Amino acid sequence: MTGGFALTVAGLVIRDRAGIAVVDGVSFTVARGGPLVVIGETGSGKSLIVHALLGLIPPGFSAAGTIRVGDGPPIDAGSTEALRSLWAREIALVPQEPSQALDPTAAIGRQLSQNVSPARSAEALAAVDLPLDISRAHPFRLSGGMAQRVLVANALASKALLVIADEPTKGLDVERIDIAIDLLKRLLRDGRSLLVVTHDPIVAEAFPEGTIVVLHDGVVVETGPTVQILAAPTHHYTKAWIEAHPASWPSHGDRDGASRSAIVASNLAFAYPGGRPLFEALSFSVSRSGVLALVGPSGSGKSTLGDVLLGLKRPSAGRVFWGEVLPYENRCERRRLRQRYQKLHQDPSSTFLPGRTLGRQLADLKEVVPEQGFEDRLLSVMDRLRLRRVLLDRFPDEISGGEAQRIAIARLLMLRPALIVADEPTSRLDPIVQREVLTLLREIVDEEGLGLVLISHDRALVRAVADTIVRIGC
Amino acid sequence: MDAVKALWDVAAPRLWQALITGWLLATLCFAFTHALPGDVALRVAAARIGDDRVTAEAADRIRQEEGLGLPVLDQYGAWMMRLVKGDLGRSLVSGKPVLAEIIDHGRYTLMLGTIGWLLSYLLALPIGFWAGWWPGGAVDRLSMGLAVVLASLPTFLVGIGLISAFALTLHWLPPAGFRTGAHMILPALTLALGLAAYSVRIVRNAVVEVRQAFYLTYARIRGHSATGAFRHHGIRNAAIPIVTFAALQFAYLVDGFVIVETLFNYPGLGDLLVRSLLARDVPVVVGAALLIGWTYAFINLAADLTCLKLDPRRSVRDAA
Amino acid sequence: MTAAANSAIAAKRPARTAAILACGLLVVAALAALSLDPLSQDLMNTLEPPSLAHPLGTDHLGRDVLARVVHAAPRSLGIALVCVTGAAGLGIALGLVAAYAGRLVDICIMRLCDLLLALPGILLALLLAGFLGGGIIPMLIGIKLALWPQFTRMSRSVALGVLNEPHVEAARLAGFPARTILLRHVLPPVLRQTMILASLGTGAAVMSISALGFLGLGLKPPTPEWGAMTSELIPYLADAPVQMAAPCIAIFLTVLTVSVLGEFVLSRRTRLPA
Repeated sequence: MTGGFALTVAGLVIRDRAGIAVVDGVSFTVARGGPLVVIGETGSGKSLIVHALLGLIPPGFSAAGTIRVGDGPPIDAGSTEALRSLWAREIALVPQEPSQALDPTAAIGRQLSQNVSPARSAEALAAVDLPLDISRAHPFRLSGGMAQRVLVANALASKALLVIADEPTKGLDVERIDIAIDLLKRLLRDGRSLLVVTHDPIVAEAFPEGTIVVLHDGVVVETGPTVQILAAPTHHYTKAWIEAHPASWPSHGDRDGASRSAIVASNLAFAYPGGRPLFEALSFSVSRSGVLALVGPSGSGKSTLGDVLLGLKRPSAGRVFWGEVLPYENRCERRRLRQRYQKLHQDPSSTFLPGRTLGRQLADLKEVVPEQGFEDRLLSVMDRLRLRRVLLDRFPDEISGGEAQRIAIARLLMLRPALIVADEPTSRLDPIVQREVLTLLREIVDEEGLGLVLISHDRALVRAVADTIVRIGC
Repeated sequence: MDAVKALWDVAAPRLWQALITGWLLATLCFAFTHALPGDVALRVAAARIGDDRVTAEAADRIRQEEGLGLPVLDQYGAWMMRLVKGDLGRSLVSGKPVLAEIIDHGRYTLMLGTIGWLLSYLLALPIGFWAGWWPGGAVDRLSMGLAVVLASLPTFLVGIGLISAFALTLHWLPPAGFRTGAHMILPALTLALGLAAYSVRIVRNAVVEVRQAFYLTYARIRGHSATGAFRHHGIRNAAIPIVTFAALQFAYLVDGFVIVETLFNYPGLGDLLVRSLLARDVPVVVGAALLIGWTYAFINLAADLTCLKLDPRRSVRDAA
Repeated sequence: MTAAANSAIAAKRPARTAAILACGLLVVAALAALSLDPLSQDLMNTLEPPSLAHPLGTDHLGRDVLARVVHAAPRSLGIALVCVTGAAGLGIALGLVAAYAGRLVDICIMRLCDLLLALPGILLALLLAGFLGGGIIPMLIGIKLALWPQFTRMSRSVALGVLNEPHVEAARLAGFPARTILLRHVLPPVLRQTMILASLGTGAAVMSISALGFLGLGLKPPTPEWGAMTSELIPYLADAPVQMAAPCIAIFLTVLTVSVLGEFVLSRRTRLPA
């Protein structure tokens, strides 16, 4: 079964409701038995391509170009009915959100591939290491990882030779990313051809034998064998992309750790009533201008620990010291120091009140920061963060994620914080923007002499930014 | 064991609610009777033997018999004790036991309510389904427009409209009464139209939402046909909001049958309630109100249990 | 805007256009008819068909139907609005308190709501009106009691959602007082969401008032009231169709106008940057 193509896409153009081409002349081929990785950031048009291949373009959108699956006839990209007739027979999908792909009210057994013998289904479940009795369970009983295995098993059980995996690693932590990639490799070993659409360079690296298509603004900017492209990218966008990976960031100089500490945690433990402890006997300190990273899988209590440090959730044992002050024992002092212990949220645009301009929201801070020359300081902080002044007239939903996170940092700096807990501050940002924001944050920490606790599941990122690393829940 | 616990976790709040409802209604009625200005005994006497024949002696006798001279709290205690024992007393007007009276009328209302409710879903399910399957289509727009109009009409106007059309103009059906099946049609239709005005929208939205869910698309990508996917994975999900709402509609049903029975001279619970209220027949009012309140609570319980069966997630969520 | 564009909009939104037109017509007619006396009886001229002197005819006591229909409007709408604003004020305030204050307060308020919602709405109003003998006050209390728990429930759930959002946490950490957070962050979305309840509630209140009037448990006769007028005329339905239809159409148009206007205001507000 070597030679020939499992999928040929030629001159695919997708226009939105306004007639603007959001995918403009994309062509690529998936070799039989070979993986093809389409990589691009949010808004690059990669998910629209998946929708077009499945005959599922959104209402009002139009598609042109030809799609040819296997040795079948070429199909016009606009004829959704013809494309849909390939479902299950020629094309299988591993959807990106297991929780939305499975019917919450039906047992797994009723959600396996159709027109397939029970033996084959059982075989497929076994191939992804799922016990057979899972078919009696309902989706809500399954962890996210198990649900994803069910989706892969469905692709394995189907007769389709071409499998499309849509963002297989989105929102996963490092351990689960490895597992998800391993599952996709099982599909390849089974003789399927694989088309993976992703935003994550790690996925591309995981298939060195395959081909990569780099998508930017609806156009293919570079394509070729994965090893070659990753080693020597020619297009500047691909270069920026690869450099944005935390492993290639410049290392930061060593600092003497003798300066005053912004926060000290001593023997901290936290458990929800009746639950097992999320973490126990944690002790560490963060110095002024020091960066401490908290890493651990999702659900390990990283964010809870952040809230404990900020005086928002009382620990079940142990103590937090804000300098000399015990925030949980001394409410008066906690109120006095409240503004100095701040949080940077995961989704920056949601930290601003909708329907109120950013300028007004920053000006509101005057109510709680009574000082002369507030406006001057605000402008200098904005200049430092390379924020244009026109942003002040915008509403929170009218700015990009990177700008929103920098404005959120500006707001925190106006409060003159001693410590910032940053909870996955860049996980929703594209790699290039992530690099920009985190480098800036690192510089600010040094300049202002504040402590930073960085909560993240991305080990490479943490190694690139942090001085100390604390692991929990392992 | 898990299932039993889940069942109990769902049922317990509703049973509790039924108890509280009963207590609240009884207390309210007691408070109203005693909060009114003037002598309670005099008013009871007036209701029992007629306004013009009330004398001080008669009032005194009633005060003795009913223990109206005792402190209010004692009276309240005695009143609650009697209710707990199931003794609702006798009607002040007819002298018949209240229990017999409300059961007698309740039968009629149960029949009318059930037929009206079934009829409303006979209308709402197919129309709402059609509208939701092709949202934006002619059926969708027409039915939604009609639903808005119907929802803006008080029940008695719908009833009067139907009477003038089918009874007075076309002479197809009798305008009022209760003896034959033909008498049931207009009141039941009046109730059904009022209920369907709301439920058709719920059915439509449930169908639209489920049709947009990704699990239906994924089921088709796995190899189901469009109708097969909806049969296997759509119906159950769409049924959850519909069943929940169907139970809630009993509230509108109460609103409806009080009016409908008065309008059509139909001897049900609503008619009894209104007549007793106008006659200040307190024991009957209390009995009827308790029966209505309790039925409401138990219908809610039935809906919760149905949803528990339909939606396996609940057995976990509610226990947590 | 050109006339063509206007008519294009009118064609797109027939319900709204009809409602606005009806509203205007009603106001003009009402202003003209307010000078008529709704109470004076003329037993020589009962159930007269429409004429120039009595544009909508006379009722079974010879009273002018147009005058009665028009005079009933401010009363019904007024009572409905008082009920809804009262219920909304109380309901939203309690909802915010339940969402923001501690667990104990929340439980108390929500249990109270459950209690009232466990009774069919009309039953409370019926019992109140029945025992207290009709009139405005029991009606006000009864309808308000039935309405406020819905406002509390909705504003609490909206407020809880908003309070969990990062912008509220950011404001709290920045040291803004609770009052500022409630007024600036929580109240606007709560008001936006409860607006639809208020418009539905006004319609429902108008219907409840007329239903109580129809049952003889509403405003005391001879006060002109649509529901009571309808029930008084039922025996003469065959002889006096116009007199019967007038209060019916008045109720229908009022409720429809209120709900369509509510939807209009809602769609206007949501077009703002959310």
